[in-house]
Amino acid sequence: MHELSIAIEILDIVEKEAVKHGATVVRQVNLKVGDLSGVETESLSFSFDAVKGEKELTRDAVLAIERLPVKIRCTPCDAVFNGTGHAIICPQCEGFNTELLQGEELEIADIEID
Amino acid sequence: MSAKIKLEKKVLSRNDILAAELRTHFADENVAVINMVSSPGSGKTSLLEKTLSSLSEKLSIGVIEGDIQTDNDAVRIAKTGVPVHQIQTGGACHLEAEMIRKALIHFSLKDLDLLIIENVGNLVCPSAFDLGEALRIAIISTTEGDDKPLKYPAMFRSADVMVINKVDLIPYTDFDVEKVIHSAMSLNPAIEILKTSCRTGEGLDNWSDFVKNFANEHRE
Repeated sequence: MHELSIAIEILDIVEKEAVKHGATVVRQVNLKVGDLSGVETESLSFSFDAVKGEKELTRDAVLAIERLPVKIRCTPCDAVFNGTGHAIICPQCEGFNTELLQGEELEIADIEID
Repeated sequence: MSAKIKLEKKVLSRNDILAAELRTHFADENVAVINMVSSPGSGKTSLLEKTLSSLSEKLSIGVIEGDIQTDNDAVRIAKTGVPVHQIQTGGACHLEAEMIRKALIHFSLKDLDLLIIENVGNLVCPSAFDLGEALRIAIISTTEGDDKPLKYPAMFRSADVMVINKVDLIPYTDFDVEKVIHSAMSLNPAIEILKTSCRTGEGLDNWSDFVKNFANEHRE
């Protein structure tokens, strides 16, 4: 919904870190996006490409997105399952006593610089 | 010379950052904040109208109304005697933290126990915009169909409470209450459920008590 604002924030973070490490250019930004994060990845890529040129360091950076699937831990079953869709009930016992282990992430894993 | 710099840094949008600041501000001013969301016409304003008069005897309440156009809702709330400010977005289909920040100038937060924000009627976009609230209440009415939680998962995942309103109309619909509760809980096992009817008064005491208890428990 606010992918442009997120793209701007990513570029701000990346620029700060690149400067800190004495980079002359940022080649790639590796982002992790969970399936429940609410982020529309195509829209995010589009926004990233639209604004990356505003900073010298990031003007040619590529945004690589790794999607993280939903992982749920069911306490009664004592097991971890992949989620389907947005439901986080246990696919085995259909119980509600679950914990979300993965799926809401929106984080910059690392950046590749020269 | 190439290098890979590990960051593992969470990304927040500008709204998230502002909302976090608001949340701190509300805590500092000791005011509990509720964000009410729903489709247009589910009964957000009616629920407030019905209960604000009695609640305002026990708590000092302020209301922020959000709509694209008109101050109709603020006029309705003003009749309950509670201080209210209308935000007219002019086009935005949801309220954002920046709009709330600007609206706060109309209130003396230190004199408030509870601030209720009634969001723009929309089950999609408000889910992505944290307003700094302590409690998010999603209202669904019985004439909207019982598949709405699954159709709008982000909204029901982000809500702390689901109020099922217009329960008096259930006999005239195919609305399956157990199905909607199960759907909502499958997305959000911890979601609390309330049932109300503004016409018959069913569940309104319970709703009123719920809001009062939340406001009291959330402040020092």
